[in-house]
Amino acid sequence: MIRKLLKGAVGPKDNDSRFLLDVHRRDLPGEDTMCRYDDSDEVDICIVGAGAGGSVLAQRLARAGWRVVIIEAGPFWHPDEDWVSDEAGSHDLYWTQKRIIGGADPIEMGKNNSGRGVGGSMVHYAGYCPRFHPSDFRTRTVDGVGADWPIDYEQVRPHYQNVERELPVAGQDWPWGFPHTYPFSPHPVSEAASVLWRGAIAQGIKMRVGPVGIVNGTFGNRPHCIYRGFCLQGCKVHAKASPYVTHLPDALAHQVEIRAACMAARVEIDEAGRAAGVTYIREGEHAERMQRARFVAVAGYSIETPRLLLNSTSQRFPAGLCNNEDQVGRYAMVQGATQSAGRFGAELRMYKAPPPEVSSEDFYETDPSRGFARGFSIQTVSPQPIGWAEHVLADGHWGRGLREYMRDYNHWTTVGVLNELLPHPDNRVTLAEETDPYGLPVARFDYTLGDNDKANMAYSAVVIKDLLHAAGAQDILTIQRFAHLVGGARMGTSPDNSVIDASQRAWAVPNLFVADGSVCPTQGSANPALTIMALASRLAERMISGAAMSGADR
Amino acid sequence: MATDRTGTPAARDLSRPHHLPNLRPGKEPPDKSWLPRQRKGTTPQMIGRYPDFDVLDSAGTWDEATSQVVMARLHLAGQFAFFAADEQATLRAFCDVTMAQDGEPRVPVAEMIDAKLATGKMDGYQYADMPDDRDTWHLVLAGLDEVAGSRYGRPGFAACDPQAREAIVGSLADAQLAGGSWEQVNVKRAWSVCMRMVLAAFYAHPWAWNEIGFGGPAYPRGYMRLGPLSTLEPFETRGATSEDPVRVAAELGE
Repeated sequence: MIRKLLKGAVGPKDNDSRFLLDVHRRDLPGEDTMCRYDDSDEVDICIVGAGAGGSVLAQRLARAGWRVVIIEAGPFWHPDEDWVSDEAGSHDLYWTQKRIIGGADPIEMGKNNSGRGVGGSMVHYAGYCPRFHPSDFRTRTVDGVGADWPIDYEQVRPHYQNVERELPVAGQDWPWGFPHTYPFSPHPVSEAASVLWRGAIAQGIKMRVGPVGIVNGTFGNRPHCIYRGFCLQGCKVHAKASPYVTHLPDALAHQVEIRAACMAARVEIDEAGRAAGVTYIREGEHAERMQRARFVAVAGYSIETPRLLLNSTSQRFPAGLCNNEDQVGRYAMVQGATQSAGRFGAELRMYKAPPPEVSSEDFYETDPSRGFARGFSIQTVSPQPIGWAEHVLADGHWGRGLREYMRDYNHWTTVGVLNELLPHPDNRVTLAEETDPYGLPVARFDYTLGDNDKANMAYSAVVIKDLLHAAGAQDILTIQRFAHLVGGARMGTSPDNSVIDASQRAWAVPNLFVADGSVCPTQGSANPALTIMALASRLAERMISGAAMSGADR
Repeated sequence: MATDRTGTPAARDLSRPHHLPNLRPGKEPPDKSWLPRQRKGTTPQMIGRYPDFDVLDSAGTWDEATSQVVMARLHLAGQFAFFAADEQATLRAFCDVTMAQDGEPRVPVAEMIDAKLATGKMDGYQYADMPDDRDTWHLVLAGLDEVAGSRYGRPGFAACDPQAREAIVGSLADAQLAGGSWEQVNVKRAWSVCMRMVLAAFYAHPWAWNEIGFGGPAYPRGYMRLGPLSTLEPFETRGATSEDPVRVAAELGE
């Protein structure tokens, strides 16, 4: 009751990011006065990657007095100049360096799932921030598929709560999984999303507004959302949450250095088998530099984290760091993300309001009558013109037919699913023969769907099609696609089934941690951002207390 | 009958989907004569559904960075840095067919693709059974010329008549091309690699936004009319057609 009365008024403790932002400029405050550490100065921790995982870890540790350097491959953004209210113009937000994609079902990368730069992929994620369900942590036990995590939901729950306050997350009271409330009230729902919601009601599917990491009201110096719909192009308003606004301002105020435009080449190992620091190359230079550190945390996400480990070869680890058991890069996952668009008589103009609006987790858990294990979620989405054109092309239209559908853009609205696709050891990140401009081998990601995955995707495609019919859609176009990344350096119970332990500490190197989405053994049908942040928050708490290094959970 | 914001009857409300290819015999879209001529601003081929809407009218409300990026697209025609002279005609013809640009004014799709490929900023992935995107483009253009020769006895794709060009592109879209350059690519993926760039170029252009009634960049202004009472901003206009409402009613059997 009290929490309801206080909606929007309760801020997070121990994170002043919202007050540190400048009202008149969008730059990350503190870049000019940022602490700078010398390469030879052994800092407490060197973190690779300034995204969802690395930023939260850095902010927490810095608050506890740790001296932190973040090595980030991409640019230090200046949003007023660098980010634009334009689809094609946002190309630089994505990891556009080459990756090779293979397997029977190759996964498109780039704008689809990979960010680059200070703030990471959350700079261009849509904003959906659902939690995982308790069942996600034990799918092997409950459903006989996937893997059990070495930790359970209860260990992450307090961190979900903290991070939801920090973003902050706006949404209705959440009835699914572990029922919970959100710190901010739900956003108004656009007509484009309402049409879909009416279809869901007709089908008996329960939907709820949110949960989105978008300010509804004001939050410190962060303004209210202006409903311009460019969430996926980087929020110039700073209403949408990303580490750039939620954790890095506070991190810089606590002596964190973000060393942007620096590509990590290797994690160095000393004679005792401990991580000694990170070797990196500054953009525009050829000489390697090495930042010394007491601890190293890799947070480059599911492609770059395995790639960095595999590129870090040594006498002790000839096949790549932590890879003597051949586990690095395995069990990398994506979610099925089929989208169907429906045509309606009225002009809906789906480009207004945030693309993420209303979602359902009615189909999240296993229902044996469906004929497959685990499930999917349903979420409204709103492609802009280029995304919509790809949607139309996928239905087989080009030339005059495509132009006809495109001219009809304002009459369409789009609903998507996120299928939980199961982890498989052969869905794996390895190194390709090709090298990048720094001479580092690029990553290759092979991906092949299993039978359960295909059954899940086929079933969910029918559900959203029926939803559109029930809403009164006059025509339906469908695109089959994939979204998100997790896994690739997963946590587990022993070195022969994982890369890291329950404390996210590498089995093979005592002072090396992994702090991004690649640690997840399963993925549920939830967008991964919130969970990546919550896991990094948990890791930080345990590193500060020393529990993560104690080996008590081995 | 619907009325527009000034209260005058619209030629026709667009509530019916009769024009959509999936709902028509042979999935054939209607002849473009049902579309109104653009009265304000520019659209590709001066047709569109929003004859009185010009997104550039609101350019003054865009932030400086966005404005620069969008406006630069209006001044691209005629510049090539990546494709060789003998490839340009084929590229132009391919872009014309895939986007049905059969007359001026054209969105300079070929130039926009050339500019992207010239900077070397690719999309971040390459299929394991495909060459680099830049090589794919060279191979596809060469392959189109080869098919024009073998199937129609023409010196190049650009020399084919419109029907032949559409037939060749149709074969590419259906992954039904083989031999010569096509042996060096996965044809299905080659179509997707090329079309990804064609679509990203065409629908990045403000003329295309006029055609489809997209409100465009919205920072710092934002959007205000999310529905349900209205989804029209003060500067946006309702869709329209140039059909004779009496004839349409007769066609629909009303």
